[in-house]
Amino acid sequence: MKKTLVLVMVFCMCFTVFAQGSKEASAPAAQKVTLTMGSWRTDDVEQMNNLLAEYKKVAPNVEIKFQPTNPPDYNATLRLQLDSKTGPDLMYARSYATGQELFNAGYFADCTDIPGLMTNFSASNLAPWQMPDGRMFAVPFAAVSHAVYYNKDIFAKYGLSIPTTWEDFLSVCDTLQKAGVTPLANGVADEWDILECFFLGMLPNYVGGASERVKYESGEKKLNDENFVAAYQAMADVAKYCPKGFESVTYNDSQVLFNTQKAAMFVDGSWTAGVYKDATFQWGVFAIPAPKGRKTAICFHPDMAITMNTATTHPAEAKAFLAWLCTKEGATTASKNLPVGYFPMINFEITLDDPHANEFLALNAGKETDARFVWPALMDLYSPMNQAVIKVMRGEITAQQAADSVAALKK
Amino acid sequence: MKQVRNSITPKGRYWILYLLPALLFYVVFMAWPLLDSLRLAFFTGNTPATRSFVGWGNFRTLFTDETHRVRYWGAFGNTWYFFFINMLAQNCLGMLFAVILTNPTMKGRSFYQTVIFIPTTFAVLVTGYLWKLLLNPVWCGDVLTKMHLGFLVRPWLGDQSTALTCVALISCWQWMGIPTMMFVAALRNIPDDCLEAAQIEGANAWQTFWYVKYPMILPVVGMITILTFVNNFNAFDVVFATENVNGAPSYATDLIGTLFYRVGIAGQHPIGIPDAGMGAAIATITFFVLMAGVIPVLRYTQKEA
Amino acid sequence: MERQTRTSRHIGSHVVMILWCFVVLFPLWVLIVNSFKTRLTIYTNPFWIPKQWNFGNYRSVLRDGDFLTYFKNSLIVVVLSLFLVLVISSLASFALSNWRGRTSRGLYLFFIAGMMLPIKIASIKLLELVRALGLLNTIWSLVPIYIAMGLPIGVFVLTEFFREVPHELTEAAIIDGASYLRVFGIILLPLIRPALATVAIYNLIPFWNDLWFPLIFINDESQKTLLLGVTRLFGQYQTDWSKVLAVLTLSAIPVLLLYLSMSKQFIKGVTAGAVKG
Repeated sequence: MKKTLVLVMVFCMCFTVFAQGSKEASAPAAQKVTLTMGSWRTDDVEQMNNLLAEYKKVAPNVEIKFQPTNPPDYNATLRLQLDSKTGPDLMYARSYATGQELFNAGYFADCTDIPGLMTNFSASNLAPWQMPDGRMFAVPFAAVSHAVYYNKDIFAKYGLSIPTTWEDFLSVCDTLQKAGVTPLANGVADEWDILECFFLGMLPNYVGGASERVKYESGEKKLNDENFVAAYQAMADVAKYCPKGFESVTYNDSQVLFNTQKAAMFVDGSWTAGVYKDATFQWGVFAIPAPKGRKTAICFHPDMAITMNTATTHPAEAKAFLAWLCTKEGATTASKNLPVGYFPMINFEITLDDPHANEFLALNAGKETDARFVWPALMDLYSPMNQAVIKVMRGEITAQQAADSVAALKK
Repeated sequence: MKQVRNSITPKGRYWILYLLPALLFYVVFMAWPLLDSLRLAFFTGNTPATRSFVGWGNFRTLFTDETHRVRYWGAFGNTWYFFFINMLAQNCLGMLFAVILTNPTMKGRSFYQTVIFIPTTFAVLVTGYLWKLLLNPVWCGDVLTKMHLGFLVRPWLGDQSTALTCVALISCWQWMGIPTMMFVAALRNIPDDCLEAAQIEGANAWQTFWYVKYPMILPVVGMITILTFVNNFNAFDVVFATENVNGAPSYATDLIGTLFYRVGIAGQHPIGIPDAGMGAAIATITFFVLMAGVIPVLRYTQKEA
Repeated sequence: MERQTRTSRHIGSHVVMILWCFVVLFPLWVLIVNSFKTRLTIYTNPFWIPKQWNFGNYRSVLRDGDFLTYFKNSLIVVVLSLFLVLVISSLASFALSNWRGRTSRGLYLFFIAGMMLPIKIASIKLLELVRALGLLNTIWSLVPIYIAMGLPIGVFVLTEFFREVPHELTEAAIIDGASYLRVFGIILLPLIRPALATVAIYNLIPFWNDLWFPLIFINDESQKTLLLGVTRLFGQYQTDWSKVLAVLTLSAIPVLLLYLSMSKQFIKGVTAGAVKG
């Protein structure tokens, strides 16, 4: 009796499980189409929702839901969902090798024939999301820049001006430290920020622009030549100007240090500009200066593009959204709603409202720009280079050893 | 259903019915997917489409290729250290607390017992974030120095020599409640006459514990050891929350769990291309290591049926 | 003389316990107190009560995330999974503890082997399975997975406890004419209550706090479990620690309050003497 009762209960549970499942499957097909957009930018939820609301005015029957995943979880979840054909309809695409691999795996759709794509973007802006044979796998969306955020009030207080050479930069740090102010807010706890924002941000100063970078990629120039050693040495030199206990200072801590005026400068990417919009002090940005005798270059990095899933059930609507991004109206609306610090990559002249964003863009004038050094072709050196930078800042290895350790891994 | 009255111990055919629901869920939702995924250890390739059979290739690469080898043994060593700290801090302290809490003349026991279990109710993510803040010199450094506690202001989680110990201790802080609870239950189960006999013989507290109580709760000690061992080799969330998936700083907190996740599921940041075959190889090796540890402990501590 | 040693032993014990209580309660205090401060004041005033109470964090969190829905979802999934795990694993353990023989031992090892492998490795297969069953994007996708996850521990712990029960007890009941099922339900289940409570607690925490499977199975806001719902907020608030702490508090408090309100029964249930004498 009790046994049958137990069995009946178990069957009931299973039944409810399956019944619930089938209810979900039989949703009525409606005129309205809902698309999902995946991304790793959980900080931009508000802005992206605004942007997508603007698109709804253009295409009223299409609703796009922005569903970002936290950056640490993004790679894993996207991967799984794509592998099992449950991924979002639209998604952000990372540039170069990572994106290419997903295209080769058949997850990203071929975007080459989207109207306006090949015509409205410059070749160098298309390149990060282009296969070697010329096919595009995404629509470029936003680029970022890297520079030194500085506290204008503190600079004024100590009579400091914007350094134009690396040596000047170090002496500014020195003055600040002697006066009891932490010069730099950078830490190494989160690991990626010290590499992507600081080291790769200033590497174009030592290594040169894109035309020089390809020489390293081909092996013509070695990754432990004097340029690289100088760059690692520069990192070792600034370590003493980072906060005490910088081994534990995370990316968010650095922002707080700058925001509470405990640190005078912060070498960071442009995407953080929005964090300081209600800062209680005056601040600006200047380019990371090159040492005397070298030319200052800017790391202006094509960061985000949007692409569509080959397995989407609504390819026409997804494609329409991507095409909209290639038009002047679409790109302008997108740029107006992008978070501060993201720059449009389309050819049209778009003025940004935020003064700090314009300040960033102004830094590019008259300088060579390049993407982050390892992104185009040397991504498997990302981790070794990251660890080398951290070790050299901690004083565990010399600059030469750091350069050698990375060069040894180049295939 | 015919009642089995003649034989005291029914045959297997009868017991299978009891096992059916368990077998159903276990095989469909755990055993089969796991075995199928372990099969991947013999393949390479990043997507179902590009898979190709490589036999023992993945295992060979894991132990001969420089980067893989260094990472694997690093994680392996770290995980053993993690287990050691857990046994010492979590299980020994848990035992100590259990002994204190089963002392019949001690006051306030239920209060202490309640408090001990509180961290166990938190999500590991919550604990990780919370301790990340507490151990952050930027957050409380100034105030601590003013309070003359300057020696506490160190980058605990950023220093290679202290990070792993800190992470292990955070894990102990979280899970302390479970061994304590299980030891208390086990100690309460010890028959009173054994304890009275010991008291009559004039044994002191330490002797009573070591010669009377401990042998009687050995099965539970074994169970806790096994559970700790298995959990530590699969530990992932605590490192994920307090550091990052790489086992920062410089892989000092890299455990087998984080290595597996990084290699097999998420791929190295920011490229994000996982190698499911290699991940399966790591998981298979872990399985055998665990079996090699668990079976002897089981034999030694559990009563044979 | 005897009384003196007893109290001095207790002082030592009390000192140890009070120290541990401090270690437990201080972080909890920090968590709650700082969630009522603003983004930058948690740095200027890390340990004490806020000088100015800020409820804005909680307002934002409750606005940006649908806490009641998340909570309800978690509750349904966890209660159902726990109940089924207990029923199914106790039946299985009862069988395994009474059935002598090689097959039985083999099955026992088969079950506990599940504890030793990270189930994450099977994620792709599970995702395909869930999709084939039509359960994707619903909370019901989690229940069978959690049952499968909870069974190894259940079988491991309960088989051991069933074995501790003296065989004479069962035999006597059988001779008296009871069926095995009756013995199971009426005599043995109450005796192994502590073990059942242990299995329940041991599984409750991972079920409630699991992030991985909800993350890959569920995208629909209305179906998200508590922890999944709040982790998105971590990303959104990553520059604002006080908001993150508010999120953490809101996600920790339900289980904590539940535990505190039931702690008496829970402790009694777990530590009740099962078999004495």
